[in-house]
Amino acid sequence: MTLLSNIPPGLILILGAIVLLLLPATARKAGTIALAALGFFAISQLEEGSRLFPTLLGFKLTLLRVDATSKAFGYIFTLCAFAAFIFSWHEKSRTENTAALVYIGSALGVVFAGDMITWYVCWELMAIASTFLVLARKTEKSLKAAQRYILVHLAGGLVLLTGILLTVHNRKTGLIEFNEFSKDEIGSWLILIGILINAAAVPFSSWLPDAYPESTVMGGVILSAYTTKTAVYTLIRGFPGWEILVAVGCVMAIYGIIYALLENDMRRILAYSIINQVGFMVCGVGIGTELAIAGVVAHAFCHIIYKALLWMSAGAVLFRTGKSKCTELGGLYKTMPLTMILGTIGALAISGVPLTSGFVSKTLIVAAAENQNYIWAWLVLEIASAGVFLHAGIKFPYFVFFNVDRGLRPKEAPKPMLIGMGLLAFLCILLGCHPAPLYNILPYSDAVKSTTFSAIYIDHFSNVVTMFQLLAFSALAFFVFLPWLKRTPTISIDFDWFYRKGAKLFYAAMDRSLNGLNAAADKYVIKTFLPALTRFALIAPAALTAMALKPVWRALDPDEAGLAKRRDELVAKFTTGTFPIAYSAACVLIILSLLVLIGRTAD
Amino acid sequence: MSEMPQRPFVPDQPTVSRKFWIALLLTCGVSVLLELSVHRHEHFESSDSAFASATNGFGFYVALGFLACSSAILLAKGLGLFLKAKENYYDDTP
Repeated sequence: MTLLSNIPPGLILILGAIVLLLLPATARKAGTIALAALGFFAISQLEEGSRLFPTLLGFKLTLLRVDATSKAFGYIFTLCAFAAFIFSWHEKSRTENTAALVYIGSALGVVFAGDMITWYVCWELMAIASTFLVLARKTEKSLKAAQRYILVHLAGGLVLLTGILLTVHNRKTGLIEFNEFSKDEIGSWLILIGILINAAAVPFSSWLPDAYPESTVMGGVILSAYTTKTAVYTLIRGFPGWEILVAVGCVMAIYGIIYALLENDMRRILAYSIINQVGFMVCGVGIGTELAIAGVVAHAFCHIIYKALLWMSAGAVLFRTGKSKCTELGGLYKTMPLTMILGTIGALAISGVPLTSGFVSKTLIVAAAENQNYIWAWLVLEIASAGVFLHAGIKFPYFVFFNVDRGLRPKEAPKPMLIGMGLLAFLCILLGCHPAPLYNILPYSDAVKSTTFSAIYIDHFSNVVTMFQLLAFSALAFFVFLPWLKRTPTISIDFDWFYRKGAKLFYAAMDRSLNGLNAAADKYVIKTFLPALTRFALIAPAALTAMALKPVWRALDPDEAGLAKRRDELVAKFTTGTFPIAYSAACVLIILSLLVLIGRTAD
Repeated sequence: MSEMPQRPFVPDQPTVSRKFWIALLLTCGVSVLLELSVHRHEHFESSDSAFASATNGFGFYVALGFLACSSAILLAKGLGLFLKAKENYYDDTP
């Protein structure tokens, strides 16, 4: 027990991943599940406070900072890993399982890091490990998506590193503690941008719907949980109450809805839905009150569960049919009823339907906005709540499992997948009906007043009614406008256009303008002007000299042929530079004499 | 898949469609009736803006749910004219 309470939980997963490399496939897979469970247990044994302070290059690191916030994130990270590894029992690839464990381990490393160096190292390790989860699909598209993914994250990492270096430099004390940042320092703002890139905040958002849907079935489930949520965790640590985050979160919430409505690929719909949900959390961090922060942690916790469940149901469909586009799917409720039911529970939970986990977490953030009189933010969050039901609550299950029957008759998802989904679906309903265990592990848990079933659903029945109205009329709007929502085999142009098409256009424009300039310079300057100048430099002195000597030559030899011969000889001497030395000496003497004369005249 | 039969489900199929629409409209109706029976929690009590008081009006969430979703669908439809591209749009780029 004492040993476990002094080991960073992330290290258990990362070292475990290395050991598992040596085991045969089935043992390796069982090992991943056991490691996730061990990680969860280890976190439960952690006592609050900071421990483990090794020194690196004169800086005191803090490898283990334990408090309610880090423990809550630690619990959900390992819980999600446990369900995801059960779900993906079929996936025994060495690379994928190792990458997943290192990715989750480094996410835990960020969560328990108490200093900026440990945080940064784990942050970058996450980026590298998660890239392998995209690469593991082994398609041309996934390879390209992984390249773009790692480039965006490395760029974000560099912005973050610059911010950290500036902040540490400004502190002058060599202190590298990772706490709340000051608004007056440029370094803090760079750190904020670095984090917002990982949080998929607009306009740094397109890497997420670009890369996640190209990952494997298991990769999608794992990826959906960690990168954006560690970003939310670091925002809670460093930027609570920064009002700009209220606006950033609201934009994310609406942007996610609109793009999810435009999308045809089911996993891309879910990817945009992550941005929408993280928008709620970012907004909550911006509000920054105790209730808001408790709400953000609760929402991150519930979101990871229902979002992983949704990615699992989409993954099971992809696993069985090999398809992920709404225009190619439909009618799957007939042969995959359990996947449909479990996926729908996730869809209801993300929509915040009463008795599901989304209802008990989202309402905390909305209430915090109301308490602080953020009227417009409150309205946007309510609109976004309706919009979530529209795209993730109805659109996703409707177009995948119902809509038109395209004759697909896949088998039901394999048992391990159903067990993984069943576990998370159970948690969605359990937390919705009995949220006290979740509320108890939150930071500022005292700020949450209604914690029992009767307090939430009976004493505050009017809130249930208004949510019921919001969802019922959102559903009505969906089916009234259903013909307008007809799916098309298209993709949506997002901010990645700027580095996918825009960069190419920029290259072409630079190619045409700069290389055109180069060609013009070559044609007119190098090939025309300079030879002409050279010719002039050679001929002009000869012509001038010939003009000056012409009267002398004519006196010596009046014959025209003789004159021409003398002129040709003179030109030849100029062009070849072959003058008798006496001529040159005479010229120099004449010029010197002229200079002396001019000098005298000037005096 | 184009040769596969494409039979519609809800709400286009007449038998399912009718029942489905009745159920949906009934749910909406019940949700409105329920509001009559409860005392709504007052939003923004300290604010004196007209909008803040409007949020406490009867049927606010009914209007919000329907209008927000309709607007989102219309906005997405409009933006789709500019933002939707063929699936091979990025094929020639890295």
